[in-house]
Amino acid sequence: MATVLVLWLAVCLSGTLAVDKGNFKTCDQSAFCKRQRALKPGESPYRALLETMELTKTRLTLQLTNDNNKVRLLLELYRLQGNMTRVKINELKPLKPRYEVPDVLIREPPTEPLSLLSQDENGVVLSLGVESQRVIVSARPFRLDIMEGREVLMSLNSRGLLAFEHLRIVYIALNLCQCSLFACQKAKEEEEEKEEEGMWEETFKSHSDGKPNGPSAISLDFSWPGVEHVYGIPEHADTLRLKTTDNGDPYRLYNLDVFQYELYNPMALYGAVPVMLAHSAQRTTGIFWLNAAETWVDISSNTAGKTVFGKMLDYVQGSSEIPQTDVRWISESGIIDVFIMLGPTPKDIFSQYASLTGTQSFPPLAALAYHQCRWNYNDQEDVQTVDAGFDEHDIPYDFIWLDIEHTDGKRYFTWDQHKFATPKDMLQGLMDKKRKMVAIVDPHIKVDNGGDYEGWCWPGSAGYPDFTRADMRDWWASQFAYDQYEGSMENLYTWNDMNEPSVFNGPEVTMHKDAVHGEWEHRDVHNMYGFYVQMATAEGLIQRSGGVERPFVLTRAFFAGSQRYGAVWTGDNAAEWDHLKISIPMCLSLGLVGISFCGADVGGFFKTPSTELLVRWYQTGAYQPFFRAHAHLDTPRREPWLFGPENTALIREAVRQRYTLLPYWYQQFYNTHHTGEPVMRPLWVEYPQDPATFVWFDVHTFQKHNGAQNLYIPVTMSSIPVFQRGGSIIPRKLRVRRSSTCMEHDPYTLHVALNLQRAAVGELYIDDGHTFNYDKKEFIYRRLTFANNILSSVNLAPDAQFSTRSWIERIVILGASKPSKVTLKTPDGQESQVEFDFDASMSVLTLRKPGMNAGLDWTIALQ
Amino acid sequence: MRLHVFIVAVFCCGFVDSRKIRGISSSYKRFYKEKKSFLCIDGSKIIPFEQVNDDYCDCEDGSDEPGTSACPRGRFYCTNLGFRPHYIPSSRVNDGICDCCDASDEYNSHARCQNTCWNLGQQERAYVEGQMRTLDEGLQLKQQLIEEGVLLWREKQAQLRDLQQVAEDLQIKLEEHRRRKHEADRLKEQTLKALEAGDSDLKRQNGTVSSTFKLLDSNKDGSITVEEVQARVTLVHDEERILSEDEAVALLGGGHQMDLFKFQHMLWDILTRGDKVKIKDTHSAAGGLVGEDPHLQAADRAAEWEATNLKKVEEAYDTVNTEISDLQKLLTIDYGPDWEFLFLNSQCYKLKVYEYTYTLCPFNQVTQKSSAGTEVSLGKWGMWAGTPKDQYSQMVYENGEPCWQGGSRSTTVTLTCGTETALRSVKEPSKCQYIMDFQTPVACQPVLKQRGIHSEL
Repeated sequence: MATVLVLWLAVCLSGTLAVDKGNFKTCDQSAFCKRQRALKPGESPYRALLETMELTKTRLTLQLTNDNNKVRLLLELYRLQGNMTRVKINELKPLKPRYEVPDVLIREPPTEPLSLLSQDENGVVLSLGVESQRVIVSARPFRLDIMEGREVLMSLNSRGLLAFEHLRIVYIALNLCQCSLFACQKAKEEEEEKEEEGMWEETFKSHSDGKPNGPSAISLDFSWPGVEHVYGIPEHADTLRLKTTDNGDPYRLYNLDVFQYELYNPMALYGAVPVMLAHSAQRTTGIFWLNAAETWVDISSNTAGKTVFGKMLDYVQGSSEIPQTDVRWISESGIIDVFIMLGPTPKDIFSQYASLTGTQSFPPLAALAYHQCRWNYNDQEDVQTVDAGFDEHDIPYDFIWLDIEHTDGKRYFTWDQHKFATPKDMLQGLMDKKRKMVAIVDPHIKVDNGGDYEGWCWPGSAGYPDFTRADMRDWWASQFAYDQYEGSMENLYTWNDMNEPSVFNGPEVTMHKDAVHGEWEHRDVHNMYGFYVQMATAEGLIQRSGGVERPFVLTRAFFAGSQRYGAVWTGDNAAEWDHLKISIPMCLSLGLVGISFCGADVGGFFKTPSTELLVRWYQTGAYQPFFRAHAHLDTPRREPWLFGPENTALIREAVRQRYTLLPYWYQQFYNTHHTGEPVMRPLWVEYPQDPATFVWFDVHTFQKHNGAQNLYIPVTMSSIPVFQRGGSIIPRKLRVRRSSTCMEHDPYTLHVALNLQRAAVGELYIDDGHTFNYDKKEFIYRRLTFANNILSSVNLAPDAQFSTRSWIERIVILGASKPSKVTLKTPDGQESQVEFDFDASMSVLTLRKPGMNAGLDWTIALQ
Repeated sequence: MRLHVFIVAVFCCGFVDSRKIRGISSSYKRFYKEKKSFLCIDGSKIIPFEQVNDDYCDCEDGSDEPGTSACPRGRFYCTNLGFRPHYIPSSRVNDGICDCCDASDEYNSHARCQNTCWNLGQQERAYVEGQMRTLDEGLQLKQQLIEEGVLLWREKQAQLRDLQQVAEDLQIKLEEHRRRKHEADRLKEQTLKALEAGDSDLKRQNGTVSSTFKLLDSNKDGSITVEEVQARVTLVHDEERILSEDEAVALLGGGHQMDLFKFQHMLWDILTRGDKVKIKDTHSAAGGLVGEDPHLQAADRAAEWEATNLKKVEEAYDTVNTEISDLQKLLTIDYGPDWEFLFLNSQCYKLKVYEYTYTLCPFNQVTQKSSAGTEVSLGKWGMWAGTPKDQYSQMVYENGEPCWQGGSRSTTVTLTCGTETALRSVKEPSKCQYIMDFQTPVACQPVLKQRGIHSEL
């Protein structure tokens, strides 16, 4: 989707396809960012008042004072279970409460005891409980250092950039001041502080932001000694490893509908997750900055800009400083509430962050299959024709999508009465083929009779419900009930677009910051709006089935915690090779901060892809978590069979590869649902140390490649270079059918890739694929192990109950030697010989039809 | 190897009725004679016969599993007694969806499939019969239209010939009129020359000077005033504007009036240079000059008369030529081998879809009119664009109204056989690309008749 208004402007003004940067603020155009960024390091006015320290078993509190204006802050420090530390800073006595983000944490994080190790007039040393971890609180200026042994893991305010703009009364003139004497006095004192432009009002492109609360920004710096690589803070169309921002704008986090976004820059996009990971070979740590207001993040590094040779020289000469990365967070309002995740491994970080904001929701299996979307499938006949086209060309798909044109005049929850006159017939037709549909439901309501906040969006004048209110979310959820949403059925799921929120005639195409949500301003809650929309929608889909069925909701805007409610995609990309390329770091970044269910529009949304690009995009998308083709209304049709038989075959093959791997995708999502580990991972997550000892097998040819070498893999249009690591076992279903649901009872093929120790492990997870019954222990979860020439399946969840009709039809062992005999043992004690085929040239052993049920214990011995 | 096994099959077990192999057609039964081993049909592998349809794929070509879903490249034969037999991909065997109307594909699934072949067969037969009737009727109508087309074609050819004859006649007439006009013009010139011939150069110049002076001196008082200059003299580059008083005074050499003598030495020079000012309406000035002589007046009238006559003939000639070129253009369009599509020219067909009314005027254009009333061109006649086998099955109309994101609207019209000529459907699968289904008897092809329905009864 895109914004009609901006689209129109862009066409009129430039005629070219590129983001109009002038529509979006730079740091200089955002008054608080400009103000905060102007502060110089090393001049911190903050001092810890150690005499105010209070230490209970779980919490340390301490007052900080700003020597310039005497305003006092309250610091709270908690040791959290799971090797985390929480630091909160608020005004000691704010004029009125400052916003603290609700609903994102899944619970109040459980604490662990803190203890005082030592104290003098310069500071305090606290024990963090484990592994000689300590926090040093320095008094003048205030700073925090988190140590492990003699090593500093992270420092806060070490550059003195802590800033906290206290709430104040607007000072107009003393004689007009109609306030109490005390307040007047206070106001007068404050007048002596520098009044800067943009503190009480700000204008951007004819949009005025009245700021009744005045300046309220917060800022804090963090330093990571020994760290050269930082990741996270999506969503940006940029490289996976974050760049330093010294020579440009900081990375911006402010959910925006950016029309035709540009690549490789720090501009804000549709979603924001204020989480950053710092990685070195020794340790991975992270910061979660819990704030939903507009946020900017500056990154600098003492090694950035140094050449490899320069670094080498440092090393040889033993000179110079240790590498260090400094970051600085600036938010427009709210409080400082930071979770410091101390790792030490990447997997520890994922579990720490998951313990705070929850894990990826476990999607219905079908949602991991292929999705066919277009703005728009015109009418029921069109849907039927496309559906039939997939069968005719023997290409599987699970979901067909309807964009905004399916509605009656952009009134969501309705259908165009001519084009979609009998939606239930259409849905039943899909259900008969075990397929599903997604219809768009945007979070704005066409104004037929006036409303609260009004703006322009697809329907024209539209009202924007206040999703921050629980009662509004309840109402929204109730609209998905089958008797409310006419024409809906259980195979109809939902897509939330435009939920940044996108307001065509608003500042930066979004809602005015001074719009109010109850007692709070939109300024305080902006980045959470989309999170709440998806939350309410997912809740609606759960409720309509009486809590039985898993929902599937795709969202464009997101925040920390959005992983709990469904999938995200990278928004309105373009049919360009660079956009195909950027889909990889964009989804990797999201995975690192908990949102595993990520994908990009296959083919590119804007513009028309060349056939080669389209084919390559299918081949890439087939190996990304959310796999959906989508196209703009103004582009020609691009269903997979429209590009000649050769290309149809290439696309068919890519989609089929996806389907054969669905058991593995499903197991990976089960894993992330429990651990928070991303499904799509950068190699450093998996192999923080030495990757050289691995072997890799080409999954198509079974060709073996040893690690620790650079390889050039020749490719043709039909190649998708995919490799299975030696040491892993991957379950597949090779009988690719019309839809994933048709494959439910099909047998498995196990691909066992042996490592240099001739061993391998893997898992197999099976359940009904669509209900929450897995919460009631209705599933099969098994560990598959190959060691000492024995492959075995053992139950990882003995207390769980589920039966499957699926059996093991084939086992392919890569890197094997030829056995003389293969024996299968089942729990009833029976032994039988298994036929096999050995390909000596590739060292591939294929066991023919061992035939045991996939849910049972078994062992297979090679002799 | 394959031959060898085939011989074995024929001689050893050839005519022993084997157990029924699921998922094969009778023509493939010969590959599945029960014996010890089975040779994959592509000859790639020999497997024990028990492994045929044992739900594990052994043959690369899928031939060992015709009745199960085990092979990715396999296919399953639906016998569909009472209807049309056909193959489905093996992946549709036991997937819980009824694909074969005889339910044979779902022999081991939870799907409860009914045998619907008889009903489908009935429907198919009824449909085919209907099609046949339509085709018969359509072909008859087509024959008529072909005959009409031939007549129409001849009529148009005759019309063209008539027009060309008219054009030729007009051409002759045109030359005659040109000659006459030339003659009249010459006469007029001669008269004018004769009129001026008697005077010396100086006198003629004086006469011209004095006649121009007289022309400017509207009230004939022997002196040109500011008002008279303003009334008769204008700027060369801005004829509409009336000269200001100052400008007029300047032309009068700084005074407010000017006699003939001063005129001859000052304003006359300026006027004859003609780069700044000139006398308004020089024609009437010339008329004024010749108007004095009755011979000249007659010659002038005669020249005008001939000019008018010539113009009329020229117009008629142009009109006929336009008609000829239009008709020639129309006749260069390919209307099919028997001119059977010719009758569509000059016709228009309408269809209302939701809020839009679509109009197809074959060989001319396609338009769309919204209920709000604005009409948009969806393309002008481009070409036939059917298959090489039947190029008359599709028309393309191009270069319609430009599109919002570049390019222009176009329409592809598919012609199908029907007893009436009518627009049946309009779709816009992609923005600005329309497809139409246009039914007409002339699209009926006799070959269709051969396609029937074969059922294994």
